Amino acid sequence: MNDRSSALSRREFLQRLALLGSLLAGYPVALLAQSRSAAQLQQPPEWRNEDPWKTLAAVQEHMFPAAADIPGAGDIHAIVYLHNTVENPAADGEDREFLFNGVGWLNDLSRGKTGLSFVALDEPQREKLLRQIEQSRAGRNWLSLLLTYVLEALLADPVYGGNPDGIGWQWLAHQPGYPRPPADKAWYKLTTPVRFQRKA
Amino acid sequence: MNHDFDICVIGSGAGGAPVALTLAEAGYAVVVLEKGPWLKETDFYKDELACCRRSVYTPELADEQHVIEDIDSEGDWVGEATAHSGWDFWNGNCVGGSSNFMSGFFYRLKPVDFRLRSEFGPIAGANVADWPISYTELEPYYTRVETEVGVSGAVVAHPQAEPRSTPDYPYPPTLEHPMARRIDASCRELGHHSLPTPRAILTEPMDKRRSCEYSGYCGSYGCSSGAKGSARAALLDRAVATGHCEIRPHAKVFKLASNTKGKVVAAEYFDANDKQQKVSAKTFVVACQAIETSRLLLSSTGPKHPNGLANRYGQVGRNLLFSAGGSGTGDFVYAGMSDRDAAALKTRGPFVNRGLQDWYTIHDKAFGERAKGGTVEFLLRHPNPVGKAMSVKRDDNDRLVWGRPLQRQLRSLFTDAQYLRYEIFCDWLPTDNCFVSLDSHVRDKWQTPVARVRIGYHEHDLKVGRYLNTQATRLLDKMGARNVRSSVSGSPPQNLVAGGCRFGNDPETSVLDADCRAHDVENLFVTDGSFMPTGGSVPYTWTIYANAFRVADIIKG
Repeated sequence: MNDRSSALSRREFLQRLALLGSLLAGYPVALLAQSRSAAQLQQPPEWRNEDPWKTLAAVQEHMFPAAADIPGAGDIHAIVYLHNTVENPAADGEDREFLFNGVGWLNDLSRGKTGLSFVALDEPQREKLLRQIEQSRAGRNWLSLLLTYVLEALLADPVYGGNPDGIGWQWLAHQPGYPRPPADKAWYKLTTPVRFQRKA
Repeated sequence: MNHDFDICVIGSGAGGAPVALTLAEAGYAVVVLEKGPWLKETDFYKDELACCRRSVYTPELADEQHVIEDIDSEGDWVGEATAHSGWDFWNGNCVGGSSNFMSGFFYRLKPVDFRLRSEFGPIAGANVADWPISYTELEPYYTRVETEVGVSGAVVAHPQAEPRSTPDYPYPPTLEHPMARRIDASCRELGHHSLPTPRAILTEPMDKRRSCEYSGYCGSYGCSSGAKGSARAALLDRAVATGHCEIRPHAKVFKLASNTKGKVVAAEYFDANDKQQKVSAKTFVVACQAIETSRLLLSSTGPKHPNGLANRYGQVGRNLLFSAGGSGTGDFVYAGMSDRDAAALKTRGPFVNRGLQDWYTIHDKAFGERAKGGTVEFLLRHPNPVGKAMSVKRDDNDRLVWGRPLQRQLRSLFTDAQYLRYEIFCDWLPTDNCFVSLDSHVRDKWQTPVARVRIGYHEHDLKVGRYLNTQATRLLDKMGARNVRSSVSGSPPQNLVAGGCRFGNDPETSVLDADCRAHDVENLFVTDGSFMPTGGSVPYTWTIYANAFRVADIIKG
């Protein structure tokens, strides 16, 4: 037996127990409230309040809205996850360009229809507009890509910046596997050179 | 003549590693050339992005791909590059190959699989052939794999059990999920014989390998404990420890150069910096997994081999095999269950480990003449959460689902039920419409032609698959599963591939002789699944390991 296994066993065993406890108890509303009040104290990064991120975050919030007992896009750090993913040097840039271009198209359409940018729309207007762009192939691919990254933010390992403290796993009573990846073993650090490719 | 090595093995998976280990232990100088990187236990975590959603263990399709040729609605064969379709045919390009990522369902073939043509006669449109060796000749090597690789299980009496030379497996079965008891109970009622599935998973430590830690994430994941019997953990680490085996990762062999006498003299490869290198050896062993093995031989023209190595009669690439069958799922809904039963079914970690081989040979008038059938293997739905969530991203009308409807579906999918899956394995009959050739347009990043794969199947495969599927759905119904859904199709599972260089006694209809040596190249062997003339009705890995140990003994002399 090597060092890694014994180091791993006690600490992770305790973590597993803690997690199992929370699973059996059902999804704790209190936990979500607690993480939200903690999050309020933190200053969002500057990029977050500028486009394309501002619009992308608004689309994510529409796709994955928060409720008292449901972690929303903000709670799962979906925009941080997306930022980490597309700004990763291992990324090939195609997704990034497509996502950014889409923000321009969406806001052009939004202004054309309502005179307002997407973030200024109310919820029914947002729904209408997004369902409208879903009709075109490019719009549909753009939304699909964003939705995929929301689901990854919800359920991929917290090491990638989403799913803080496993909040997405807890919400869905999902038991992750061990050992979990440390930061120096993120997928893009495992082999060199690895370039980005998203699988279907 | 001086050689860099005695033996050069191309490909480090289940076909190459037994040769490397056996010959290194015998004192030969061995080099293993592997296209991918050398990842170790310390690189494997339960990280869904690394395992299944990014190209970490397989090439980026823009760099290296295949062209898949399928039949269109007009009946024409049309090729589509996988970089365009996204249909990835790579299975694990790293030291140890795809055996790093297998589930390790380990079944032997049965005697009947070695003589399909004699047992059941010809089938129109299929190139069914007996093997040039019998089960008796391979049996000692199946047994050897049990200890060399580490197979856990329990032998039980069974009407279709194959003979074995030892009373039981060297390792006890893995821990079992409570679902296994439910399967057993319903099988008893239906008169079926549920079998504990043998696994290439250690249940006790062996040398430097730890026993299974039951994370619940096994198939598709690299193993961090070393319990999974990958070619790397089980064999190559030991081969290197002999001091006689060198492994060169990032060595992509693009050609085997041959001389005027027709012998292979060197393996030419691109290194990590895309620089051309070559290595000479007395004997060459190719084991790149079926599609790439055929591609390499076809690409390796020489003065005596104008159409590629071992291709005098145009046989290389022909009679490619996948695994036919299908799969199904049933829901075990927690509502209405006792808390205790629900909690038991929610268990994550132990394995379901049940298979059915009652119809390995079908004796049923309703089906027709006595025929070759297959195996049904049971497992829980894969736990990957992103993959699971992606299944509710679109509705039945293919519209994207978001907002509260998405969240409701996620909650239901993750928390309402346990899902039992089954997979059907039956013979993929060899036909003239399933083969590997070189594509005339598409090239990889090193500018060599990629493999073009025609993926035609035989209708008989579907008939057998449907028969087994009926039995499997009946069992799930009996177990009280709800919403049982299944599919049987001729779509090839790209991770279960063999054939292309079948072995046989006639050089005009086979590529390799009974020793897996090329008929017309005396110092060339093929030891991956390419040799199989017919594939049997189980996953291939155990047979590939066993045959590679057999051929290694032949090379050793």
